[in-house]
Formats: sequence, structure tokens, C-alpha cells
Amino acid sequence: MSKQLHEITFELKAQNPTDFVEDFAHFGVVGSGDMEVIIEQKNLDGAVKVKIVTPVTGYDEVWRRVLERFVNDTGVANASLEINDNNATPVVVSLRLRQALSEVD
Amino acid sequence: MSSKWENIQKRSFLESEARTRALGLVDPGTFTELAGPRHRISSPHLPLLGEAVEFDDGIVTGVGLIGKKPVFVASQEGRFIGGAVGEVHGAKLANIVRMARKAYDEMLASNPDLPEEKRPAVIISFDTGGVRLHEANAGLLAHAEVMDQFQDCKGKVPIIALIGSRVGCFGGMGFVAAASDVIIMSQFGRLGLTGPEVIEEEMGKDEFDASDRALVYRTTGGRHKYIMGDCNVLVADSIAAFRGALQEVLGKLYAEIAEMSCIGSLEKIQYQLKLVDLCVETAPKDAKDVWKSAGNENPDDLTDMPLDEFLTTVKRLTDRY
Repeated sequence: MSKQLHEITFELKAQNPTDFVEDFAHFGVVGSGDMEVIIEQKNLDGAVKVKIVTPVTGYDEVWRRVLERFVNDTGVANASLEINDNNATPVVVSLRLRQALSEVD
Repeated sequence: MSSKWENIQKRSFLESEARTRALGLVDPGTFTELAGPRHRISSPHLPLLGEAVEFDDGIVTGVGLIGKKPVFVASQEGRFIGGAVGEVHGAKLANIVRMARKAYDEMLASNPDLPEEKRPAVIISFDTGGVRLHEANAGLLAHAEVMDQFQDCKGKVPIIALIGSRVGCFGGMGFVAAASDVIIMSQFGRLGLTGPEVIEEEMGKDEFDASDRALVYRTTGGRHKYIMGDCNVLVADSIAAFRGALQEVLGKLYAEIAEMSCIGSLEKIQYQLKLVDLCVETAPKDAKDVWKSAGNENPDDLTDMPLDEFLTTVKRLTDRY
């Protein structure tokens, strides 16, 4: 009955993709209710590859929607997003993703 | 890059993340992170327990310059599991100290006349409660390895401890900090072995009330540690202030820095024993009793007075014994 960390992976595609130039960016601290993200440039034919590692289960659909919105709003393309989460709420997730992107600019 | 570094200088040390501290303590643009998030060396143990992981396992390690001096930096992140030391975290800490000593050996082997100002130093920004209980054996072993590395640095590489972050420096890491050569703290820094909450848990609220912030700070905080002589330099709560104190300390010769250490000679042990005697004689009930023994007539005034005034008025046990 071992409890394992939950891993969620999926791919998204922005409706209006823009060029994402930085090859690597890291932002955030995995504090309680917080998360970190690595954004890395990858040649994915315009897609965004997402990997989330979290102790929380049952919110896969919420993660997908939050990430979908982020990708569509920002136009991020050809990138991999790796998230280590520790119970961040959707609002915090959105904020951290945008902060990470502004670090890149 | 440079304007980002300038911004960091003004920031509160207490509020700053581990990476911000590491970047801001060394000269602008000189910090190179080693085994950072890019390498994704996170804990192999936490996933099995269903606990969140971090790409850097809660510690930033790297190299930079302060003036001409190569500095090997470790900076702990208290927001990730209280900055607790697990296997990877501990290995990164032990190895950055090892790297500094190896660099020293190699530099001196190729140039025995290398001026002191160009010799390496270690800087550790503590923000930790000690061993990470989820991986306790590995964490404890890591403490021992770090202490081992400290011993190998003796006579070669100075180790400077910085304490002014949220979690403070407690548990086994309290011992590690005490084994460094110089401890720089802010008044918000806290240093001790058993943390306030643990004392309360074990001994009861009558013995120690961990929710009493004033009590916690006058027993473990920077001002108290400065009076006791455990902390060598007390600075304001900004990255620039810590960096300034660091530059001043690193500007000294190694022999002078080693002399500031709390341990390492018979005289230093005799000083510690005098404090034990003093404790037996006066049976203090509160930190303020000890401050009085140090020669502070009105210890009550010391807690709230501005830092500058505190530094000019305070009498320290080190002056007296």
C-alpha cells in the first residue's frame, strides 16, 4: 500500500503560437501550497509537453485546464514544462507559470 | 543582469529565497550554480513516501567571486521541507566544501606563494531545522560528512556561516554552524540545537512556550547569540549588509579568521567552561539574566532598541570573560 508521488503528463498546442527564445528557465520554490517549474526550449513541432509531479491525486483535469489556458494566453510553443508541485491551488499555478515566463523575458 | 543584482542587494535577507541569497552575496555576474535545477538531482526517497520533491533538493550550491577570492557557496531553502537535510541536499553541501578544499590544495600546489586574497573560502547560508526525518539515516550521515569536510578545511579554507533566514539554523545543522570559523547573523536569525517547538513538545509549555516570539528571539535570536559570543558579527537584515560583513571578514588573513572561531583551542574551551561556571553560579531563569551577567545594567532595553544603538551599547560575555 505504498503511497507514491503522482505523475501527470500531456501535450498541448497553443492556438496562436509565438517564438519562445530562451533555452532554459527555472522559477519557484516547492514550499507548502507552492510549486516550481522548468521551462525548456524543445523542438516539438509547435507543441508544449507538460509533466507534473505532485502528491495530490484526482485533479488531472484541473491541471490540464490551467495549463491549456496558460499556453493559449501566452502562445508558448516548442517547449517542455516540468512542474514539481506541493499542493498549489490553480491560482498559484497560473501565477507561477506567468512569473516563470517573465523571468525568461 | 547587473540591475537585477543591484535590486537583490536592497532586499531583506530574511525574505529572500536561497538562490537570491547565493546570487546577491557574490560579486555581480560571477555566480555559477553547480548541480542546480537543470541537473534535476532530486531526492530518491521522497517520492516513495508520496512527498513533493524539488529539482535542487532544497539547497543551492555554486561558485562565485568576492573581489579576487573564489568563494564556494551553499544556500539552503527553508521553504522546502524546512530546509531539512536529506541525502542529496547533504551530499551537495558536503561536496561544495570538499571542492573548496581541493581547489585550495591544487592552487597552492601550483603556486605556493598564492596571495591570501586569492585563496578560496566557503560561505554557507543556513535556513534549516537539521536532519530531514523522511530520510533520517542519510541525513545524519550527511551531517557527519559535512563536519568531516570542515575538519579537512582547518588551516586552509575559512568557512563562514550566515544565519538570517526564516527557519533559522537548528538541529544537527546548529552543530555544523558552530563548527564554522565565523558566524554572521541578523537579529532575525536564530541559532540553536533543539528548536523551540521541539522543546515545547518534549518538555511542556511551562518549560518553553514556542508561541512566545519574544521569548524565542531572546533565547535563540541574533542579539542573544551576539551577547553570548556565539555570533561574531551582527548585521542589519539586507543582502547588502550580509555581503558587506562577508567582505570585511574575507578581507582578513586566514589566521585572523580562524581566531574568531568558537572552538579549536584550549583557550576557547576554557572560555566555554567559564560560561558553564557562570551558569551554575547565577542559575539564570531567562536570557536577560545572562545579559545582566555580561554587564548590561538594563537588559530589558536591549530587545527593542534600534540595531545601531544596540551594537554601540551592548556588553558581551566575550568582553568580560
